[in-house]
Amino acid sequence: MKKIVLLVLAMMLLANFAYADLEYFQIYKPKAGMSADQIMEIKYFNKYSLFAHGYESIGDVVFIEKDGSKRNRRFLRQRIILGRKSDDLSYKDLVMFTQPTSVKGLATLTWNYMNPKRDQDVWLWLPSLRKIRKVSASQADDSFMGGDFTTEEITSRKFSDETYKLIGEESFKGYTSIYDGKAYHKDEPCYVIECTPVRSPWYYSKRITYVSKNFGGNMLDEIYDPNGKLYRTIFRGWIIINVNGKDYPAQDRVEGHNLRTGHKTVIIFDEIKFDQDLTEDIFTQKTLMRQRW
Amino acid sequence: MRIKLKIILLSILSLLFFVSRSEAALEIERGPIYGALKKALPFENLEFAGYLKNETALRIAGGFDEFMKEANIAQLATEYTFNDNIQFFSILRWFYDSTFDLENKYSRDPKWESKSNKKLRFPEKMQWLRECYLDILTDRLDLRLGKQQVVWGTADGVRILDLVNPLDYREWTLKDYLDSRIPLWMINAEAQIMLNGQLQLLLIPDYEANYYPPAGAPFTLRTVEIGSRAIPGITTMTINQKPAHQLEHTKVGLRWRSIIQRRAFEYTLNYLNTYDFASSAYTAFTVPPPTVFVTRRAERIQIFGGTFSKSITEGILLPGLAKGWTLRGELAYITGGAMNYGTDTSIQGTADTDQLNYVFGFDKSFFTNWQFSFQFIQMRAKAREDFNKARFTLLNGATRGPLDKVETTLTLMLATDFLHEKLKPQILILYGDDNDWRISPKVSYEISDQWLAAAGVHVFEGKEQHLNGQFDKNDQIFFELKYTF
Repeated sequence: MKKIVLLVLAMMLLANFAYADLEYFQIYKPKAGMSADQIMEIKYFNKYSLFAHGYESIGDVVFIEKDGSKRNRRFLRQRIILGRKSDDLSYKDLVMFTQPTSVKGLATLTWNYMNPKRDQDVWLWLPSLRKIRKVSASQADDSFMGGDFTTEEITSRKFSDETYKLIGEESFKGYTSIYDGKAYHKDEPCYVIECTPVRSPWYYSKRITYVSKNFGGNMLDEIYDPNGKLYRTIFRGWIIINVNGKDYPAQDRVEGHNLRTGHKTVIIFDEIKFDQDLTEDIFTQKTLMRQRW
Repeated sequence: MRIKLKIILLSILSLLFFVSRSEAALEIERGPIYGALKKALPFENLEFAGYLKNETALRIAGGFDEFMKEANIAQLATEYTFNDNIQFFSILRWFYDSTFDLENKYSRDPKWESKSNKKLRFPEKMQWLRECYLDILTDRLDLRLGKQQVVWGTADGVRILDLVNPLDYREWTLKDYLDSRIPLWMINAEAQIMLNGQLQLLLIPDYEANYYPPAGAPFTLRTVEIGSRAIPGITTMTINQKPAHQLEHTKVGLRWRSIIQRRAFEYTLNYLNTYDFASSAYTAFTVPPPTVFVTRRAERIQIFGGTFSKSITEGILLPGLAKGWTLRGELAYITGGAMNYGTDTSIQGTADTDQLNYVFGFDKSFFTNWQFSFQFIQMRAKAREDFNKARFTLLNGATRGPLDKVETTLTLMLATDFLHEKLKPQILILYGDDNDWRISPKVSYEISDQWLAAAGVHVFEGKEQHLNGQFDKNDQIFFELKYTF
């Protein structure tokens, strides 16, 4: 009996390992009969655009106070996906802020690794210092740019950070944007998955995520505090972009809403482009230093 | 005191009035000033940004009754793009520090009307042109030609390898180095030799000495204050020798920067052949009449150094050990310079001296949104010439106080943010091994995308022979209001 249990455990580990090794530059969609783990592997794969070779967009972060007043940040983002086992590099990211003047010129270069236990390496170009600083990766529960998301929710959460349970399948009820009032993804067929953090205690006890059956992206996260009370939601809007005959899923908005404070943060991605022949030599410190402001 | 408060309010309100009046006339995303400039300069390839800022500082001793700074600053940065490869960039900055008109001790003393002292009030000569350069960018080579500042090193708030540009010490080291570095005309070429390896070459024909404020100014260095004291019956003559603008005096810098990709370990190797921006003082005494000749000479020096930085992303030795820390270091060996020796306040002579300066830094994010940064800094000076070391020591160039063989400084910075990064408190603590302190807490608040406010305190503690202690009576409270466009 003991041997059988060990064998089953080993098979489960192998199965997990296999899905953790989804091949880069391929498109994956959830299929009927997949487990919660398999669906979430695809969801993470799509979140970081690992199906593509390169990604570019212009982003606007809008902080919306309870009284409706707004602050903005605009940035350019470029990503090259490497999936290179020889030096463990998964992808490199460049983010360059262009507005407002108080943050203009601020830029970061991030190296992300295939090894899920390895943190990002981050270089920060500070126009106010005129130099590049190697900085420690933010704590996973740090606020991302001061918005209603944590750092891990936007940039660093990995498949192995949570355990997953499929709790249902349904038609997504739709989400009315807190930014433009339009309804998104109404009646999109989706899997409902409960995600529990491996870390405990942690800033959330669980989240319920709705993953599209059609493109494998998560549309809504309902996040529960350590006492089990719903306190935040994160909506992600997706579009499909056809690139050389292939359908790439891309996030075109992320909306965070803190139900306790009423504060909202919206990130809109515009001019999204894939596979524009970005080369790795753009993702260097020289590019950071070209920011003059 | 009341009049002074009124002047502060008046300055701030005029700024507000100017801006709000324009805002009513134009509603453009980046504000009325940007809108007006865009209208006046309708060039498609021209981009600009800037700010208006008020900086006010009051001396704490004596009941906040003395301005140490009451500056209004306007800055305009412009970028003109000829094409993807060629761009022109400039920063113009103008300021007026009314302290020298508001405070009687300056306004009633004719010495502050002299040409050389007026630069504390207004930009002098081309000082308003902060940066002005042409960028020629290619895949393999970036050329930056013109007036600019180049920053080497990884240290914060201390200059170990950051020695390409001289410094303006009018506010000691309280201002950001970006604002206090004196830009130089130079050729800056950076070649991409390999994916993560760049070689930088600097050719700098321009020379400016560090700027030290004259005796009586809010932040006069002790050495300047002592040097200005008249000795009865003796005349002091100062001769400044600085390198001429000739090819043979061109300064040369080289930096190799690389990241070892597998380990994400970054390092640089640096070499700079330059002139010391802090001139060495050589004294000679003649009679009759009794005269001291002080020759201030910029020595040709060579700097060899390097830096490293590494984030612990997996753990040192054991998985997870020290994960999340960033380690950084910087070292400079400076040869060819000279320092004064003697006893406190009294110079006996000048000796050729080598220096070895280094810093190790440790950074980490703690808890939620707390940044911690600690630095261990040592500076060692060794004379290459003999002098009576039983009686004399090398002297600190800033204070003319005795210098230890090893001077150790520790710095600690803690910073966090609240209210979605609108409110940012931070504290910087500097400790020198002779019980020399500076403590600088500061709070900044982002009122809107365009308005920023800040307030803080600088507290100095220590003996006058040491770097911060020399300003023991200069504790100040400061306020800043900035409008960006």
